[in-house]
Amino acid sequence: MVNLIINGVQCQVELGSTILQAAQKIGINIPTLCYDERLAAHGACRICVVEVKGARALMASCSTPVAEGMVIETNSPSVMEARKEILRLMIENHPLDCLTCEKSGNCILQDLCYEYDVKEGGFYGEKKSYPIDDSNPFFIYDPNKCILCGKCVRVDNELQCTGAINLIDRGFKTHVGVAGDRTFEDSNCVSCGNCVSVCPVGALMSKKPEKFRQWEVKKVRTTCSYCGVGCQMELLVKDNKVVGIEPVNVEPNDGLLCVKGKFGYRFLNHHDRLKTPLIRKDGELKEASWDEAMDLIVSKVKEIKREYGPGAFGALSSARCTNEENYLMQKLFRAVIGTNNVDHCARL
Amino acid sequence: MEMINLTIDGISVKVKKGSTVMEAARNIGIDIPALCYLKGVNEVGACRICVVEVEKARTLQASCVLPVAEGMVVYTESPAVVEARKEILRLILDNHPNDCLTCDKAGECKLQEYAYRYDVKFRDHDGARRIAAIDTSNPYILRDNRKCILCGRCVSTCSQIKERSVLSFAERGFNTRIIADNDRILGQSSCVSCARCISVCPVGALLDNRIAGKARAWETKKEEVRCTQCDYGCLFELLKKNGTVIGVRAKEPGEGRPLCLKGRLSVDLAYNDNPAAPLMKKEEGYVEVSWEEALGLEKIMKKL
Repeated sequence: MVNLIINGVQCQVELGSTILQAAQKIGINIPTLCYDERLAAHGACRICVVEVKGARALMASCSTPVAEGMVIETNSPSVMEARKEILRLMIENHPLDCLTCEKSGNCILQDLCYEYDVKEGGFYGEKKSYPIDDSNPFFIYDPNKCILCGKCVRVDNELQCTGAINLIDRGFKTHVGVAGDRTFEDSNCVSCGNCVSVCPVGALMSKKPEKFRQWEVKKVRTTCSYCGVGCQMELLVKDNKVVGIEPVNVEPNDGLLCVKGKFGYRFLNHHDRLKTPLIRKDGELKEASWDEAMDLIVSKVKEIKREYGPGAFGALSSARCTNEENYLMQKLFRAVIGTNNVDHCARL
Repeated sequence: MEMINLTIDGISVKVKKGSTVMEAARNIGIDIPALCYLKGVNEVGACRICVVEVEKARTLQASCVLPVAEGMVVYTESPAVVEARKEILRLILDNHPNDCLTCDKAGECKLQEYAYRYDVKFRDHDGARRIAAIDTSNPYILRDNRKCILCGRCVSTCSQIKERSVLSFAERGFNTRIIADNDRILGQSSCVSCARCISVCPVGALLDNRIAGKARAWETKKEEVRCTQCDYGCLFELLKKNGTVIGVRAKEPGEGRPLCLKGRLSVDLAYNDNPAAPLMKKEEGYVEVSWEEALGLEKIMKKL
């Protein structure tokens, strides 16, 4: 264990912890942009700088390990001024587009500018001017809004392990892109959308047919229904319609989703979706109540069993059902109907 | 009651004679944008954002002041209407600071809402821009005339109370602006900080100074409370962030409900978990005073 003092508060943390982790442990909030607890510390954005007594310069708290007897100030005047200057530099090279930006209301750069009262950069010079890449059917990439925190690149390479995006060029020209600076469509990107989920600003945004502001949606926690992993996610709901999906950083998915979980929700409100059972009457499928449909199934099952025996039945269930549902399905067929003809699409 | 039949966006509607097209549209769930319109208070057709296309009419018509007529055929989102609204928004934005990044109104701003709805952005231009200073002279009202869109809501609501009538329009054309009394800063005007103007301002030109900078509109949960100082029972809103009340603000005054600073301060003291000290206007300016003095309770407190 290591003893240190943060903002005058004595604390004891494990050797190898970072200053940021130690501060979080005692409830002191240090702003971050490029930090993600799941990723190797990067120290790129410098917004988390703190003053360490005796240190030559301000230290990035996300990547500085604690040491015995450290005395740290997280909100000293020089720290505040440094953070403001970092924000000024970022916002100067960022389009002032909060009026209509889809990220507005959920943007960490915006939150920090509000907190540190940074309204504009005040610098004169070159600004980024890249074309917007909307080649991917699920998300849109605007490099002009990118603050180069590198979270997307690290999630892609460290957790998703697709390796589709990387930092390209150096210095002012540094930008995030796919191999050969091609478009996302022409890359090995698998559209998992994990880069979109971690982007703290509006550089990587889900494409959305519905118009909504971030503050208009209600978040509803649920479990993804696509496979048996049970990824945790939040549905963004506006006017009782699902308009987006965000992963939740808990087990089993630790804030990750696949392309289906992240973007495959449009069927929910699709007009072709069946909302009631259909029963064929006079050669035509007609809407029916659940009671009607269940009665029909029961009568048909009884009829077939009487005429051809239980061996005439077979059951196929889905990998999208839960374990419990699959268990009940085989139980129904084995115990009630009396057949062992049970199978599952995931066996294939 | 005589009823009028008309068609709005292909839907037949029957409404009372004397209704406006905007009211008729709202009856059937069609939301026509409005910036200056405030029922019973400011029905002036100034902002023109509510224009609609009426068959056989020579030009687009402001639906907030257009009475319905028998057989009228109205289109509320036709290409001509949408283009007109976009142009109006572009012109407003041309003379409005690009400040949504940190503006306290962001998230509740009507101008922002409609700019998003009609996909209008700030544009670069080298034309003139309004020159105005932020008026911080009143500790309760933060006035930024650069953000004013001259809808006139504040002027109308202020003049509804005879003895107040502090705000008015001054000058003409591009120089038109809202002034307090004979163009004084708010702190030196006859303004009694009742907050009627703040509660109706559609943009960030008039803000509650006591809550400015404390939280974004989308971070707070709102809860309505009624003031119990007098029998008007004006409505106030508690702003809660992470479970604690960080501020209290006035809701739009209802008919006959005046709003007053004493009421707002008493709600602030009653509900706010950490209320800032009240400031009282004296000869030397605004002076920090005790809650007893601010709420006029000194004599009572001595006897308790």
